[in-house]
Amino acid sequence: MRRPRPEPHSLVGAYALDAITGADRARFERHLATCQACAGELRGLREATAGLAEAVAASPPAEVIDRTLAASARTRQLPAVDRAPAWRAFLRVHRARARWVPAPKRAWRPAPRRLALGLAVVFLAAAAASGAVALSAEHHLGTARLSDHAIAEVLNAPDAVLLTSRVTAGGTATVVMSRRDRALVFTTAGLPALSAGRYYQLWLMGPAGDRPAGVLPAPDRGMTSLVIATGVTAGDWVGLTVEPAPPARHRTSKPILMLSLAA
Amino acid sequence: MREAGPRQVPGTAAGQTRHADLEALIGAVARGDQAAFEAVCARAGSAVFGVVRTVVRDPSQVEEVCQEVLLDVWRAASRFEPGKGSAMAWVTTIAHRRAVDRVRSEHRSAERQLRAASHQVAYDEVTETVEARLDRERVRRCLRSLTSLQRESVTLAYYGGYTMREIAALLAVPEGTVKTRMRDGLIRLRDCLGAR
Repeated sequence: MRRPRPEPHSLVGAYALDAITGADRARFERHLATCQACAGELRGLREATAGLAEAVAASPPAEVIDRTLAASARTRQLPAVDRAPAWRAFLRVHRARARWVPAPKRAWRPAPRRLALGLAVVFLAAAAASGAVALSAEHHLGTARLSDHAIAEVLNAPDAVLLTSRVTAGGTATVVMSRRDRALVFTTAGLPALSAGRYYQLWLMGPAGDRPAGVLPAPDRGMTSLVIATGVTAGDWVGLTVEPAPPARHRTSKPILMLSLAA
Repeated sequence: MREAGPRQVPGTAAGQTRHADLEALIGAVARGDQAAFEAVCARAGSAVFGVVRTVVRDPSQVEEVCQEVLLDVWRAASRFEPGKGSAMAWVTTIAHRRAVDRVRSEHRSAERQLRAASHQVAYDEVTETVEARLDRERVRRCLRSLTSLQRESVTLAYYGGYTMREIAALLAVPEGTVKTRMRDGLIRLRDCLGAR
């Protein structure tokens, strides 16, 4: 006999305890977006979990706080959600980078993208499961970790599609693309480590020629954090090459990945 | 197992003021105020560190995750909405999510399955640890007011980082039962904690 699918609302306790994962978590979050009562109940349950947290409070070592404060001075903050102009400026920056204005070295690995990875992976998994990605305003606590509006925009696009491919050098590449936004978000898992002075370079290749589309950040536990490429045109492929530093306008090696975006 | 560390958190009498302060401080952090961020770390850092340490356990990773959580707070301070819950709930939710994400990515494979297989051992270990660390009288008292199945479901999930599915296997009860006990347990805990 088939087990009936559980009524989503009753998962609110498990959700508050982070005890549901993957598709279950995504399904509950979709439900949460449309359920005022759930959001209200969740708010109350989170006060209870905060109590559980305070019950085990223990002072962190002073070095942890010192390192955190030092790191915060180098870490860009997110704009408030409702500040649309800041948003557009952010998108413009990314478009400019996609056209390749050589960025200073530290910009290769912007902290916000790295931090977005945890949630983004959930989104990618959800995208794989459902063919679309749901991002609701209601899971604000989760969204707090989704660092980058431009990336969120693509992941949340109604026409987002997920493509994956093996990389010939080893590992896999995953792309979420939105035609509407003419943009894609790119991540990899299990790429071979590179020697110093070499890096993975992302390209858009097609009728409009080869355009550098960003440098992959150093992997974190085998995965590279999300890179967004904008200005995708019809007939484009996504390519990946290994290049020597500093970033070049023209690729110098054969692609280790060629993924067609024609879906 | 490590003993619970020294407590920075003052008693519950000052709780309300402390929480109101934390909300105002996070508002200042959203405007890029470094001094306010330092104050947030001083006030919420011990809850963050406590959760991360309890869930992640591996000492080599605890500090790193703790730092990630506090940096999330710095980065995302503008996303905190005071109307949607307390600042402490917001911060500890970020901490718990990051901590369980770390444990699950680390233990996704064989080790985690092994732990699930030797469930009685794992379960005993978790409860013992949790009880050793429950040094806040009020929460401990409130947890005692839960039924044993509610308490086990809530603490295995929150402190052990186990999923609903894993807990059902550990306790040998249906998932639906664990789901219900989690919700009922948290409601009871919330009501108990609210009635100061």
